[in-house]
Amino acid sequence: MSRRNWRLELPLHLMLVPGIIVVLLFSYGPMVGIVIAFENFIPVKGIFRSEWVGLDHFRYIYNLSETRGVLRNTVFIAFMKIIGGLFAPLVTALLLNEIRKKFYKRSVQTIIYMPHFMSWVIMAGILIDVLSPTSGIVNQVLGWLGFDKVFFLGNDKWFPYVLAITDVLKEFGFGTVVYLAAITAVNPSLYEAAVLDGANRWKQTLHVTIPAIIPITILLTTLALGNVLNAGFDQVFNLYNPSVYSTGDILDTYVYRIGLASAQYGVATAVGLFKSVISLVLISLSYFLAYRFANYRIF
Amino acid sequence: MELKKAKAKVKGSAMLSLLLLMTTVTACTNSDNGNASTNASNSPSATTSTEGSPAASTNSVPNGPEGKYDPPIEVTTVRSLNQAAELAPGDTYDENIWTKTFESDLGIKVKNTWKVNAEQYQNKIAVTMASGDMPDFMNVDAQQFQILVQAGTIADLTDVYAKYASDLTKSSFEGSNSLRLKAATIDGKIMGIPADGGEAADTQLIYIRKDWLNNLGLQPPKTMDDVINIAMAFTKNDPDKNGKNDTYGLSLDNNLFNGWSGLDGFFNGYHAYPFNPTKGTGTSLNFIKGADGKAQWADVQPEVKTALGKLADLFKQGAIYPEFSVIDGNKSAELVTSGKVGMTFGAFWVPTWPINNMYKDVPGADWGIYPLVSSDDQPALSQSMGGLPSHYFVVSKKSKHPEAPFLLLNTYIEKIYGHFDKNYHTVTVDGKDYGEFGLAPINGGLPGNNPRAAAAVQAAKKSGDTSALNDEQKNYYDQVAKFEAGDATMWAANKLWAEGGVFSLLGQYVDNKQVFTSTYVGNPTPTMIAKGPSLRDEEVKMMTSIIMGSKPLDYFDEWAANWLASGGQSILDEVNASGMVQ
Repeated sequence: MSRRNWRLELPLHLMLVPGIIVVLLFSYGPMVGIVIAFENFIPVKGIFRSEWVGLDHFRYIYNLSETRGVLRNTVFIAFMKIIGGLFAPLVTALLLNEIRKKFYKRSVQTIIYMPHFMSWVIMAGILIDVLSPTSGIVNQVLGWLGFDKVFFLGNDKWFPYVLAITDVLKEFGFGTVVYLAAITAVNPSLYEAAVLDGANRWKQTLHVTIPAIIPITILLTTLALGNVLNAGFDQVFNLYNPSVYSTGDILDTYVYRIGLASAQYGVATAVGLFKSVISLVLISLSYFLAYRFANYRIF
Repeated sequence: MELKKAKAKVKGSAMLSLLLLMTTVTACTNSDNGNASTNASNSPSATTSTEGSPAASTNSVPNGPEGKYDPPIEVTTVRSLNQAAELAPGDTYDENIWTKTFESDLGIKVKNTWKVNAEQYQNKIAVTMASGDMPDFMNVDAQQFQILVQAGTIADLTDVYAKYASDLTKSSFEGSNSLRLKAATIDGKIMGIPADGGEAADTQLIYIRKDWLNNLGLQPPKTMDDVINIAMAFTKNDPDKNGKNDTYGLSLDNNLFNGWSGLDGFFNGYHAYPFNPTKGTGTSLNFIKGADGKAQWADVQPEVKTALGKLADLFKQGAIYPEFSVIDGNKSAELVTSGKVGMTFGAFWVPTWPINNMYKDVPGADWGIYPLVSSDDQPALSQSMGGLPSHYFVVSKKSKHPEAPFLLLNTYIEKIYGHFDKNYHTVTVDGKDYGEFGLAPINGGLPGNNPRAAAAVQAAKKSGDTSALNDEQKNYYDQVAKFEAGDATMWAANKLWAEGGVFSLLGQYVDNKQVFTSTYVGNPTPTMIAKGPSLRDEEVKMMTSIIMGSKPLDYFDEWAANWLASGGQSILDEVNASGMVQ
């Protein structure tokens, strides 16, 4: 019997092979490069012949005065993005779900989904104009309402919030689609039963829709937690400037500036490794929490 | 049951992936070893075939700066492509007037192993260096040059330089105090061919809207106070007469040190010589000699603080675009060309970009170009980083013909600077000019060529006698003549070559010894390379926040003390111990 099973499943395994090869080549293969974090890497000498320096790079990063601030910014910005990225699409999806006019619902869905496909280079160009204190529309509106002008991209108090808000604006449409898909998967007979029991739309949402999409919510949040140290290189790199380094500089941009752009490969890899280790711990922890409290399992 | 099967499956695929992982790892190491061995075996065999096969025919190899290889040899290099430059019909980076000449005159066939866009070139070079598969010669930046010297993979060129470099090529190395030669010499050996350096072509000038000066009845600046007054008048007195308060006095963007909209020239006016571009490597720094004869970092001197105070005041009064810290050079250029800003400090090329079309397109707009002015009775020195080469051509140790790049360079310098041949510089097809000099796989220059050309053009203008001009200079002469005859498209050329133009002013700087160069002439030290980038960020933050008024001026002192403590002292120690302080 097992032999017959094997023969039946063989094509499936074969179909897996290209995927596995790609993962091995591009995800596992480069892991060898982690040793760069422990050596004074000189490209010409190569990975295996560069001078070994042990934990020097980690000590160097630890002793840099900015490192702690950068770490704090990274976690703070990423955390705001995770929270915003959780609630904005969830609420939008629930509201859109109540709309009966199909055309209207679809149009809104498409429009809010669009920015997801724009690169941050383009978004940044638009945002710099829109948020400009001298000519930007946001500040003009603030002016009409009697507020002072705000230099959103040049003021280090505002900058992290601008990052979080613009990121949510760009991505919430994508999240909404995922939640809407989860909502359509809810068994209609549950709603019928709820109606029979006298539930109005609000009660239906509260007792049918929300419990039904909690697993996917937890899944997405869990996956997002692994990104706590990924505050979004593309976005920050295209929007930040020296006057907001103090609150806007994140690990990735910092590593790019002091590491890659200046050929300090050892330092850059050390930070990358540090990031990966923290992410591994966080994702394990959040997976454990999800398993514990929502009975969610990946395997 | 169901679960068990799934588990078994997971186990199976895990084993499978582990197996695959192991094979890839071994394959990796194998290929690594294989590479080294094929390299070792490949290169000699390739050369034996070129040298060996036609042994019967007339064999000749150059035995000095001139001569021809027969049979021809092949030399490999790599190229960075300038996407912005259009090529003349029929020309490619692989085949053009240069490669044809090299092949017919020298018997050297130059082969491009790879070509990439200029933006990706540095990364690709890093990969090439890592793979150990270097071409015979290639262009690298100063930092990569250091790495290659340390790694010992590039050839010592001392002997081939002595034997094969022509007199003209030697003068390009040894002109202006042998700066290029000294920079390329490491521990007494010539390790590379400097691609630039040795001339003060990056000194700054003041560019001011002449029509705005006239509108407000102002004179060109004589002192830094005049500069500040002009900036204030341009801000407050409606210089464009449009009735709106929409102009700024001084152009600035987030790259504080730059050939466009940089502050280098402003600082120089206060005898301060800081240099650390926001997007630079943080390793090309200026040093001055202190009272004790030791090198001091230029950026922490009190004169820098004075100038920063003036800038902060200008910003406070609205003379600098309030969002300068968020905009880049393109955006600040846009502000200037749209008639919002009337003054900028900048390098010689500013007339060619971005203000090149304003004379033609904006009615009444004209720019005056003025030398830097000083804040006191001492003349202002314009700082130049151009003394040290930023790029080098290096020759692989494995190259069979380390002398070949010198033979190519001899030809290049002969065609461009010796007996100028316009065909190698620019060709005109259907009324459109195409640059040819950029297609050469190697390049170098004679320090001070442009000011010399400008002087020759102006002398010919005065005497009316163009017979002394070479083809290059005649070309410039014609451009200036066209402008004078009313051709507005030749405005930039006129600003470059005519009297009072940028090259005259640059030449004046040199003649009057008004050029500041760093007292340290060595390459980046280890601490500069390791800590330069993070120290650069601190400096940019300090300057930006002081100018914007978010930090008090005295924050400068705190930052300077901090710089010393967090690596600056070791940089100074290394610099002073290097023996490269002049």
